[in-house]
Amino acid sequence: MARIASVIVRTIANNALRWWLIAIGLTLSYYMFLMLSLVVRFGSLPNYVNFYDWISSIRMIISSTPSLRDQIYIIRQEWLVEIGYMNYDFGLGLSEWSLVLAPAKMLAVFVLSALVATYVLLIRGRRKSCSTFLARTSGATAGMGAGCVGVASISLYWVVCCSTPTWVVGLAMLGLGVSTSLWIEPIGPWLSSIGFTLLIISVYVAASQSVSGDELSESKEIGRTR
Amino acid sequence: MSIYKRLVAALLLSVMAVSVQAETIRIAIGHQSMCTDTYTAGIVVKELKLLEKHLPTTGKYKNAKYDISWSDYSSGGPITNQMMANRLNFGVMGDYPLIVNGANFQKTDSIRTKYIAGTGYNLKGSGNAIVVPVASDIYQLEDLVGREVSVPVGSAAWGMLLKAMQDAEISSSQYVLKNQSPAVGAANIAAGRIDAHADFCPWSELMEFRGTARKIYDGSETGIPYLHGVVVRQDFLDKYPEVAVAFVKAIHEAGEWIREDPMRAVEKMEGWTGVEKEVLYIYFSEGGHLTLEPSIKDKWVDALKFNHGVLAKEMDIAPLDFDEWITEEYLIQAYKELGIDYLKLKESIVDPVEANVGRPMEIWHSRDGISTYETFPEFLSAIASFQDTGAKLNASYVYDKETGLKLFGKTAFFVKNSEGFTTFLRKPEADAYAAKTEGVVMDLNGAIETQRELLASVD
Repeated sequence: MARIASVIVRTIANNALRWWLIAIGLTLSYYMFLMLSLVVRFGSLPNYVNFYDWISSIRMIISSTPSLRDQIYIIRQEWLVEIGYMNYDFGLGLSEWSLVLAPAKMLAVFVLSALVATYVLLIRGRRKSCSTFLARTSGATAGMGAGCVGVASISLYWVVCCSTPTWVVGLAMLGLGVSTSLWIEPIGPWLSSIGFTLLIISVYVAASQSVSGDELSESKEIGRTR
Repeated sequence: MSIYKRLVAALLLSVMAVSVQAETIRIAIGHQSMCTDTYTAGIVVKELKLLEKHLPTTGKYKNAKYDISWSDYSSGGPITNQMMANRLNFGVMGDYPLIVNGANFQKTDSIRTKYIAGTGYNLKGSGNAIVVPVASDIYQLEDLVGREVSVPVGSAAWGMLLKAMQDAEISSSQYVLKNQSPAVGAANIAAGRIDAHADFCPWSELMEFRGTARKIYDGSETGIPYLHGVVVRQDFLDKYPEVAVAFVKAIHEAGEWIREDPMRAVEKMEGWTGVEKEVLYIYFSEGGHLTLEPSIKDKWVDALKFNHGVLAKEMDIAPLDFDEWITEEYLIQAYKELGIDYLKLKESIVDPVEANVGRPMEIWHSRDGISTYETFPEFLSAIASFQDTGAKLNASYVYDKETGLKLFGKTAFFVKNSEGFTTFLRKPEADAYAAKTEGVVMDLNGAIETQRELLASVD
């Protein structure tokens, strides 16, 4: 276990710049993809942006919510930026849809991206030393994990889904049936947990392959010396 | 205790009292300017500063400062989110979002809301409706089999649509349900891109007024009351109960202000909300869809429980303890202070079918305002003469024989028989009545022409 942890730390440290670039790049790409989906889905560009005082909101939530569990639940929903489309055909304007940047969800997406970055760097250069079957399996597991977390972290608002949490709204907006979206609503946290578990397993498998590769190289080295 | 100690204690107490009195009380209200039924607890109270008028200024509030803020939302869901974060203390919304609000708060360990007052109601459920493009061949729910119907999912209109389809024994597999926002639904109806659209107040009337849609089903046919109300965070109520009482008084006064002069009210509200005054008039005028009265009646609680059942069937909504959630404490206190008998108010229910019998028809002349007509010949002749002079008419209003609802003259179905004219909201009822009484079904223009011919034959 210690060797696996040290391989992970060493891999990240040796490729720090690349690791940060992949992690930040994936996070940005994720939100750009969501925005692009909205633009394609609704055929209009965003026409408003709102910034929220997240820090003071958090302060207020903590001071006015006695239960820690409730605090965490509410803080997770807090918004930092909202970019959306306002329809001015009726009344004084109606927010039709928006992409919401909620720090708690952004953090989840960043952790997802960081895990993907770690996985990519671990398998990079180690492909020859591990079996194709293992490499493919761990790759598929990582992909599935990233997909689960990605879906559960969708943070879109749509005026028609006024009573459902954002990840389900995201699915409904992207074309999933209304009834199906509503029925799968409770599995959001589970989906996220499963996704992270799969990603961690993939990173672990990739790191252990590196460890076995290192051990193999070491034993060959010893054999040559003898 | 020595005199010295007593003096110190008194000094400390007075310092504490001053610090309490000098506090700033933050009152943050979430409302919806595109939802007519919320106006008496929202935009009217805001613009007329009615809350400020009733806020307490004595006792512990003697030196209190009030920091009042109003936030406008497109739907009730975001208001609930903001209330959870305590950025809003008060929320004004429709029945389904109210239930979601109560259930979501009760799902938490430590925070709650209370449903403290209504805003207004329609006994039978008017406000929600299903419309079709004006030139559509769809006239009744049965015609929707195999068609596409859109609705803002999670809204009161969604609940109405489900109930209406269940009552008509049309299963969800027999039509295609689409999730569309009010504005998108309205645009799609105008362009004929969707077969039907169900929506909440005032969207159906807005589309009718703009000449793009025709109602085929009114929420009143479900028989489930349609109501809106006010929820407040429990921690705010515990700390400042008198502010909640002041809010209820403001709701009452907003209703009185509208009743006093509906024309003035809708003209003002058009400026505040952007919703056409002619559309607002159908809600807020005498005989309109809305009864502006905030009491919480037993029937309302039953309706809310029914709505919770609908939501529980369709989505994963948390249980809601209605006894814990609903309180009449603030209503009772507010009406006591206003010198009005709350229990009497609670017992009174306005049924449009009975209340609107014999109400005069109305014509809204763009320059001269509203004029009323007791009989159809007078009403139709007046429109004919206005047309002859090229006068601009904003709207005309008649009543549905079946439901007592106020309708736009231009969207009503007129039946002419030997006894005269009768108006209907829906064609099937008009056809049935015409068949029964040997009458003829026609639209407003047809009725005007018939009246012209009648007058010509008399001359």
